[in-house]
Amino acid sequence: MAWRDDWRRVRAIARKDLATELRAKAGFNSVASLGVTMLVLLGLALGPDTQALRNAAVGAVWLAALFSGVLAFNRSFQVELDGGALEALLLYPGPRWTIFAGKLLANLLFVSAMVVILVAVGIVLFGVSIPAEWLSLAGVVMLGVVGVVVMGTFYASMASRSRAREVLLPLLLFPMLVPVLLAAIAASQALLGGDLMREAGAWTRLLIAYDLIFLVATFIAFEHVIEA
Amino acid sequence: MIESNQTFIVAAFAVTWVALLGYVLHLARRGARAVAEHERMLHESTGER
Amino acid sequence: MPLNTSSKPESYPAPVLDSASDRESAVGLGGSLWLLVALAVLAGVQAYTILASPAERDMGHLQKIMYVHVPAAWMTFLAFFVVLVFSVLYLFRRRESDDLIAASAAEVGAVFNGLTLLLGMIWGRPAWGVWWVWDARLTSTLVLFLIFVGYLALRAFVEDHGQRARWSAAVGMIGAINVPIVYMSVTWWRTLHQPPSSPATLDPAYTMGLRLNAIAFLFVMVWLIHRRYRISSLERRAERLAEAAAMGGRA
Repeated sequence: MAWRDDWRRVRAIARKDLATELRAKAGFNSVASLGVTMLVLLGLALGPDTQALRNAAVGAVWLAALFSGVLAFNRSFQVELDGGALEALLLYPGPRWTIFAGKLLANLLFVSAMVVILVAVGIVLFGVSIPAEWLSLAGVVMLGVVGVVVMGTFYASMASRSRAREVLLPLLLFPMLVPVLLAAIAASQALLGGDLMREAGAWTRLLIAYDLIFLVATFIAFEHVIEA
Repeated sequence: MIESNQTFIVAAFAVTWVALLGYVLHLARRGARAVAEHERMLHESTGER
Repeated sequence: MPLNTSSKPESYPAPVLDSASDRESAVGLGGSLWLLVALAVLAGVQAYTILASPAERDMGHLQKIMYVHVPAAWMTFLAFFVVLVFSVLYLFRRRESDDLIAASAAEVGAVFNGLTLLLGMIWGRPAWGVWWVWDARLTSTLVLFLIFVGYLALRAFVEDHGQRARWSAAVGMIGAINVPIVYMSVTWWRTLHQPPSSPATLDPAYTMGLRLNAIAFLFVMVWLIHRRYRISSLERRAERLAEAAAMGGRA
């Protein structure tokens, strides 16, 4: 019974967050546009040699996703902060982890949608040919997105309430995402190239381990962090 | 090759000592400030009575 | 007595520092005997190990930079471990001293981390010909440095002490969990694409000297963390006095 209530709370928070984002139409559109802009700039900076661009494609897409993702994460807590609603949210009965889970869910959907756009644009701009194992590639991308969203949501729960949120979130988040970045980029590159060395499997296992470890760790830590 | 290496060897140990002593100095200055501040607060709060 | 509202973390019963001279010795130059001895020992150990170890075949005496570079790295990891332990302790028992010790270890760790990187570069320039290579160890240590910096930045930007302590503990714990993962992933990143370049493996003749240097470094680091903690402790006491006075409380 309690599970049902918790899950309902999680969905409610996720729905509220997503609804707020959709209502403020600027939200998703501007963040996605920024990601695309970053891809363009990266293309300009690293190109125009087609081979160089193809080599840089995976890295460029992930970096663009990271930098625009940071905006999404801060925004996910912005909503409550502006209205002073965080205190109200905390007064509601129910376990705190549901707040984290709800925001995770919302951010996951938001960032996934953005990454789909970035991958599509990246394929076009950087001249990447879609490999036979595109499904595995999609899986790797999703695992990477999960890692980024889990850590991003966690650190944003603090950074967004601090004095220097724009710089603090990336400063805290990016070093922590190094394993995800390396693994996702390496696995993606391997899959794009046909994975002759059978590397993608090892990197994928690292991604899964990272996601699981930090999913648990952040849930535990969130209890201590969310108190007003 | 070995002569120029000597510069780097010396530099390494010099950097180490500069770093350690520099940090010790930094702590000494910060400690002095902390003591002064604490004394000030102590006198202010007792002075208020 | 300073006010101690229940929402704030329980303050560690600070050592009784009744007189100004006691306080002075806690943080001033008075309490420095340990440091002087530790630094003297370090200098002695360095001199002995430099002179006693043989020149290496290829690089002459360059390998001796390891006598400072490797212990500095070991101290960095140890400091991070201290941050982990006291972060977890703080989350469990909410004692302000735990938070202050963790923060002190983080600052000292960052210093040793920066030193490790500098020494790595100073060794690398004659050894590899360039100031930086994206070598697994050096790169991982750089990422570790950024994690330290993030921790310290968080503390700088959060004003409420209870919140700062809780958040630092969470960030410290999660950061520490990531350290081995970072090292593993960066090492894979380096080795999967090319055969491992000759790493800076150590001639076994150097091992004993390394350990001696590391122990000497350890004594210095213990003093540094302790002194940093005492300073933080005193600063917090001053702040609490200020808060009590501001609230018009009786001293």
